[in-house]
Amino acid sequence: MNFLRGVMGGQSAGPQHTEAETIQKLCDRVASSTLLDDRRNAVRALKSLSKKYRLEVGIQAMEHLIHVLQTDRSDSEIIGYALDTLYNIISNDEEEEVDDVEEENSTRQSEDLGSQFTEIFIKQQENVTLLLSLLEEFDFHVRWPGVKLLTSLLKQLGPQVQQIILVSPMGVSRLMDLLADSREVIRNDGVLLLQALTRSNGAIQKIVAFENAFERLLDIITEEGNSDGGIVVEDCLILLQNLLKNNNSNQNFFKEGSYIQRMKPWFEVGDENSGWSAQKVTNLHLMLQLVRVLVSPTNPPGATSSCQKAMFQCGLLQQLCTILMATGVPADILTETINTVSEVIRGCQVNQDYFASVNAPSNPPRPAIVVLLMSMVNERQPFVLRCAVLYCFQCFLYKNQKGQGEIVSTLLPSTIDATGSSVSAGQLLCGGLFSTDSLSNWCAAVALAHALQENATQKEQLLRVQLATSIGNPPVSLLQQCTNILSQGDKIDRRGSKIQTRIGLLMLLCTWLSNCPIAVTHFLHNSANVPFLTGQIAENLGEEEQLVQGLCALLLGISIYFNDNSLENYMKEKLKQLIEKRIGKENFVEKLGFISKHELYSRASQKPQPNFPSPEYMIFDHEFTKLVKELEGVITKAIYKSSEEDKKEEEVKKTLEQHDSIVTHYKNVIREQDLQLDDLKQQISTLKCQNEQLQTAVTQQASQIQQHKDQYNLLKVQLGKDNQHQGSYSDGAQMNGIQPEEIGRLREEIEELKSNRELLQSQLAEKDFLIENLKSSQTSPGTNEATASARDSEQIAELKQEMATLKSQLISQSVEITKLQTEKQELLQKTEAFAKSVPVPGESETAKTTDVEGRLAALLQETIELKNEIKALSEERTAIKEQLDSSNSTIATLQNERNKLEGDITDSKKEQDDLLVLLADQDQKMLSLKNKLKELGHPVEEEDELESGDQDDEDDEDEDDGKDQDHI
Amino acid sequence: MTYAYLFKYIIIGDTGVGKSCLLLQFTDKRFQPVHDLTIGVEFGARMVNIDGKQIKLQIWDTAGQESFRSITRSYYRGAAGALLVYDITRRETFNHLTSWLEDARQHSSSNMVIMLIGNKSDLESRRDVKREEGEAFAREHGLIFMETSAKTACNVEEAFINTAKEIYRKIQQGLFDVHNEANGIKIGPQQCISSSVGPSTSQRNSGDVESNSGCC
Repeated sequence: MNFLRGVMGGQSAGPQHTEAETIQKLCDRVASSTLLDDRRNAVRALKSLSKKYRLEVGIQAMEHLIHVLQTDRSDSEIIGYALDTLYNIISNDEEEEVDDVEEENSTRQSEDLGSQFTEIFIKQQENVTLLLSLLEEFDFHVRWPGVKLLTSLLKQLGPQVQQIILVSPMGVSRLMDLLADSREVIRNDGVLLLQALTRSNGAIQKIVAFENAFERLLDIITEEGNSDGGIVVEDCLILLQNLLKNNNSNQNFFKEGSYIQRMKPWFEVGDENSGWSAQKVTNLHLMLQLVRVLVSPTNPPGATSSCQKAMFQCGLLQQLCTILMATGVPADILTETINTVSEVIRGCQVNQDYFASVNAPSNPPRPAIVVLLMSMVNERQPFVLRCAVLYCFQCFLYKNQKGQGEIVSTLLPSTIDATGSSVSAGQLLCGGLFSTDSLSNWCAAVALAHALQENATQKEQLLRVQLATSIGNPPVSLLQQCTNILSQGDKIDRRGSKIQTRIGLLMLLCTWLSNCPIAVTHFLHNSANVPFLTGQIAENLGEEEQLVQGLCALLLGISIYFNDNSLENYMKEKLKQLIEKRIGKENFVEKLGFISKHELYSRASQKPQPNFPSPEYMIFDHEFTKLVKELEGVITKAIYKSSEEDKKEEEVKKTLEQHDSIVTHYKNVIREQDLQLDDLKQQISTLKCQNEQLQTAVTQQASQIQQHKDQYNLLKVQLGKDNQHQGSYSDGAQMNGIQPEEIGRLREEIEELKSNRELLQSQLAEKDFLIENLKSSQTSPGTNEATASARDSEQIAELKQEMATLKSQLISQSVEITKLQTEKQELLQKTEAFAKSVPVPGESETAKTTDVEGRLAALLQETIELKNEIKALSEERTAIKEQLDSSNSTIATLQNERNKLEGDITDSKKEQDDLLVLLADQDQKMLSLKNKLKELGHPVEEEDELESGDQDDEDDEDEDDGKDQDHI
Repeated sequence: MTYAYLFKYIIIGDTGVGKSCLLLQFTDKRFQPVHDLTIGVEFGARMVNIDGKQIKLQIWDTAGQESFRSITRSYYRGAAGALLVYDITRRETFNHLTSWLEDARQHSSSNMVIMLIGNKSDLESRRDVKREEGEAFAREHGLIFMETSAKTACNVEEAFINTAKEIYRKIQQGLFDVHNEANGIKIGPQQCISSSVGPSTSQRNSGDVESNSGCC
């Protein structure tokens, strides 16, 4: 505020005094009047004053205007005036138009004014939120000035305003709705607002993209007629660029949303040639840049390559190539198209292959690459176009071994078109290399270097190239011709800077010779080369030659570092001695260091695109800076090593190699043993497997046996049961066997009865005898006898009766006996039958048992066999284990040996280190001695002193030069 | 590639619950064990097939940190689906669900389908929130629920696809206005709306949504 007062103080001394009072009055009216009409009129008056008296109105009225915005929302008219007034105060745009006569100083002041007022306005964050809410008002008089005001706030203090909008709920989303406004003015100003809103704010860019900005903007561009559309298309394209540039998330979204496909129609400009208006050129330029944003080499590799693929698949690349080959395309569009095609094909094999197949619509058709190269080596073409072609060629060869081979092959004797009817890429490059235009020399040299980049095969192939320089002279190799031109560079009259030619050739030679000992040998074979290089480096030349000296040092360094000592005169050691004698190590390294300290070097190392403000800046190639970075250190190291060290190193290397060979030998042995071991292990595992299988078989069979046994037991038990059954039969027999007892009893009874009967018979015989006696006595005595006989007859009758009963008894008993005897007979028969029936089941049982026993025996036999097998397998296994142990022990011994060897190596390394220390000491001593000598006034020759005079103006090198300058 | 529909998703939830890992697992089928803090919002996309229809999912993975809340709020309005994620081994991430849900409901369209996800189900030994609690919370607030593991990829596919199925079902029921892109839904190029609406498919589909494959 102090500043503002100061500014105001300076200006208000004049006639504005009354105006200030008027403004004061108006502000009072806005603040205090109760009538809306009054307030509205006052604001309108303020608005009309705000352009001319910006400062006064700003200071006095802003507060009141903001108040109006808060309180009078219902009246769109007054809100509109207030917004307009605020816009006039804050915006610098109008100012410039109105007061374009004013001095620069006052313009700067007014810019300050705008940002100061913006700061005041946004100090209260609610003011911005209020403005955002006003934008929801559909009324044109509110929305339009609102959009303009917010845009200028963003232009003034972008980051702060962005932050406020970002944290206000749905802030960004609401602004996105402006794109959908049916009134074109608001939509178009909405695009401008979004441009300011998205400027370098990733978070907002993402939200805007999320809110379908891509879709909407692409729709607008299509509606407006793509590149034929007006400035709206341009604004949309700038906004798209804001959203996509350096925003990987949005780029991914753009690709995933299939929007790349929608870019293709933009480039359908073809040959119709409806004229190229300035707007169309601008639009196309932006469109091409948008494509480049998506495939920029600085994007993450994965992202770029997926976009490249999409561009090929949807035909965008093809469309761009059509523009490339079309006629009547303005040069700057053509240039940008070439750059765009370059980045679309860079490092993407499919696209590179496609590009190689593109033909120009000429008769006969020529490859696009050839047509482009013709432009590159044509000095009449614009510089930027030639740079673009070089870039395109580089991108075509980037990581494209196939393409590199094709280019180099056009130079080889076997493939050169003898008829000469068509020009090849190789011929054009050679032509460029040896033309009198130094720019062509440089471009062709760099282009050729790219054909060799990281490709050892092509480096060797290129050595075969022979050139016919003039009739009658023998052909010269390409390498030879390059060095020839290099050495006579000063004699040929050239267009442009002589330095460019030499730098270009040196870069080509450095690239060619690096990592290629054969090329180094070829190079050294020409005895003129080394003296030329040492001469260049050792000379004390002006500043502009320093770079050439540096590159010569690099080339010499490469010839040492990649030297395989195949040429006796130019062995590593000899070259180093030469440097020490003719140049001095320090001097050499210092000259080498010139390259990377060059201002243009760091510029070229940033981006792959050769982009130079003017031809003089065309010095370094991006890929070459990578090579320098890689080699500078190792060459310096190689130069500083003394010959003894070198020898030592050689020896160490040799011993190392020997050791290496021993180690490799052992490694091979170990490898073989490893293989054997593996074999054996496999065998073991298979055997184990078999073993397991067999064991499972055994267990299975054992279980079978068990089953059989169980069955057998079961059968036994059954058998037992059967026996019991039989037992029960015999039990039955025994139960019936009570009968034998009965029989016995019956027999006894019979016996008894028999004895009874005998008793009775004997009694009967006694009685018969008695009767006989009585009969005889009867006949003899007579009378007496009569009585006696009467008595006797009575007795006889009695006896007869008795006898009859006895007889009947006897009969019944004998009947009983016979009955018993038959019974007995029956029983006997029965028992006999049983005795017969029992053996029958018994017999079948035994048969079964024998069967089971047979099987059991067989199983047992099998088990025994299996057991034997197992035994054999385990024996085998132990044998294998023994083998394994023995090979393990050999490995151990080998490892011991290797350890010993490694110990040896470390020992020799230690020795080497000691030597280095010693050497450093000696160096130190030498230095101190030299210093002493100097102190004593003895002149000491030091070659370094020669150059130190030139180096005063080299800003970067102060540190390194300090030492040298001390000597003066 | 052409698609029938395009759905916009957002993934929300506390920091460190595995939102970015879920997305990476879904889009790239890989797992990154190192926690790399998301700054603002990151984008990912994948095509899925539902009911024989190709559906493109565009997913915005938001930063969980409180300081990015105001930025991430801007993404609610235009999303058709949200994956609300918590970490089953950290109860506080479960406790914060209410505040996340409030935020989502406040700023999103009312039809947004929200899928509640308990992530890190592979760390069963360190579990701090029971599965039942997650289920209960989802039931109470009308969300779909799943436990996932971005590390083992368990249920990750299902979580994204089931959300899409639910959105698709809502489209078929006419709950979404597919012509308003602010809803986070877009009809694919050369697609006609009349051809994609069929009552028969909606019937069939509604059943699929509820079926959770329970490998976790």
